[in-house]
Amino acid sequence: MSDNTTKAREIAKKLLQDGTVAMVLGWEKGDQPYVSAPAVVRDDAGADRLVVDEFCIHDLAALLTDYRDSSDKIAIFAKGCDARAIVRMIQDRVITRDRLYIIGINCPGMKDPNEYARAESGLSKAKPADKAAKCQSCQYPNPVIYDEILGEAQQPGADQRFAEVEKIESMSADERYDFFIKEFSKCIRCYACRNACAACNCRTCIFDETKPQWVGRSTDPVNNLLYQIVRTMHVAGRCIECGECERVCPAGIPLMLLNRKLIQDVDRLFGPYQAGLSLDDDAIPPLSRYRVDDPDEFM
Amino acid sequence: MKVLPSDKIREALNILAGEAEVYAPLVNGDVSGYFKWADNPAEELALDVLNTYMSPKNIVMPQTENMYDFEARGKEAQVIRVTNAEGPRVIFGIKGCDLQALHALDLAFLTKGFEDEFYKTRRKDLAIIARACYQPGPACFCESMGVDRLNPQADVVIHDLGQQDFAWEAKTPKGEEITSKLQGILVEKDVKLPQAAEQQRKVDITGLSEKLAGMFENPVWDELSSRCMNCGVCTYVCPTCYCFDIQVSNRGEAGNRFRCWDSCMYREYTQMAGGHNPRDYKKERFRNRFLHKLQFFNERYGANLCIGCGRCVILCPNEVNILEVINKLKEVQVDA
Repeated sequence: MSDNTTKAREIAKKLLQDGTVAMVLGWEKGDQPYVSAPAVVRDDAGADRLVVDEFCIHDLAALLTDYRDSSDKIAIFAKGCDARAIVRMIQDRVITRDRLYIIGINCPGMKDPNEYARAESGLSKAKPADKAAKCQSCQYPNPVIYDEILGEAQQPGADQRFAEVEKIESMSADERYDFFIKEFSKCIRCYACRNACAACNCRTCIFDETKPQWVGRSTDPVNNLLYQIVRTMHVAGRCIECGECERVCPAGIPLMLLNRKLIQDVDRLFGPYQAGLSLDDDAIPPLSRYRVDDPDEFM
Repeated sequence: MKVLPSDKIREALNILAGEAEVYAPLVNGDVSGYFKWADNPAEELALDVLNTYMSPKNIVMPQTENMYDFEARGKEAQVIRVTNAEGPRVIFGIKGCDLQALHALDLAFLTKGFEDEFYKTRRKDLAIIARACYQPGPACFCESMGVDRLNPQADVVIHDLGQQDFAWEAKTPKGEEITSKLQGILVEKDVKLPQAAEQQRKVDITGLSEKLAGMFENPVWDELSSRCMNCGVCTYVCPTCYCFDIQVSNRGEAGNRFRCWDSCMYREYTQMAGGHNPRDYKKERFRNRFLHKLQFFNERYGANLCIGCGRCVILCPNEVNILEVINKLKEVQVDA
């Protein structure tokens, strides 16, 4: 058993036993070696199933929305990206800081269990990567917020955040249009990208509204594109670049391209900004606050 | 025995496509499914992988299907065209699991005194060329769900001889007809059918449907659903999930009514006009999905609504695993 797993179990047990928290959000092993599954545990037996290993890729913070109306205290394991997600959840008032006990994990990068499952099952011939695509250029492997921390601090990856955006921008307008129509034609509207997203924490999502129905339910390039563009616009300035949307997409749509483009736009309009780095008042997302010097050329 | 040589498969599909809409397992970049055959060079035949990500249900119930077009003037509305998708169709390469799923869809759409016209139109002239499955994957558990993977009930059964040559066996008059169309392509050869590998994953669901009838309020659903994030991946890749919604789209005075896949994982699915939602929380939606698969369908039709293809297990972003769910449901002690 790895050092982190041993410590994780000890910490979880202690927090549950002394009543600091009512539940712990972590991971437990599934029925395959490459599966570490999100787990909500409430007792010693549950705590003894917890693991921290190279397959803990899921952003547990997205599950915090399930507990927004309770007053239970929650311990949550958080990698670098997850910690930023938690900051966002607190800033969006999904949960308060004092309800959380954050066990940070200095993260060396994870493997993607879905990628392994596809390959191992025989559905895909692609070999799974040693480090998930979303972890390759991670800028914040070490949690920005925590009460306790596991593992050694890690070095950030090479900054290639906008490399793909630049490739798309070098295309002609027609090429770009064809590219996006082709990609978004694959969308099956399963909303996995939305549900895995820490920035998507609205109580009622615009895409679930019926009166009026803002986006048609038919799967066609127009409605698919409308769904994805509206979603990207909604998370502009709030996306923490965890890459979960792209990882969970069963159709392999490069969703982070749109997110990164919007991040670039926010940078250009409001000055450099990265979401979820701090709980300070001046770290609130540019589109969630007002300043007199905000750009207003449309007025 | 007749053999369909690997280098003639595209040609065979082209011949069949001359007279029918042909669907085959295809890979296009990151997606694979049973798509309409158009001999598109961007699409590779997915015969060397276990199965496709997307199930073949789109052939009989497309994700979005137009029903009729209308015009409305003031209070008067007139249907101007009802969609008619009649015509022969052929599905090539479907496996036993997905074929059993198709039979489950038949139960839902064609029996108990209800016939779904749109489904029936697509289903009635569907010829089936099924692929016997000798090498199940580690995620497969079709046998536990009663699938005969080696002898699928089809018009033609093909057997993978390696190198993607397929032994060809016509099983019905419709199958003979297809065989005769491919006379110039099929070759006569002495072949030895492959040895079937054993399926590793197993689960016993005997008595589960009856047990579940008393477990609606069981607290185990809280635990089981806790990791689910309530997206619709499982329902949309599932070959047996058949829920759909009927929607309307209109511009000015013209419009159309269509139906599209819907998912019990979505809150909107049970949203009622007055604002109440009987499945407001994810536990209730999660529970519904598994009870429909393992109890409700069984009670109504005497069959499982899970056929053990493993797609939901493989593709769930948060590692929900129907086998684990079944095993935990079996472990729960319920008062008699």
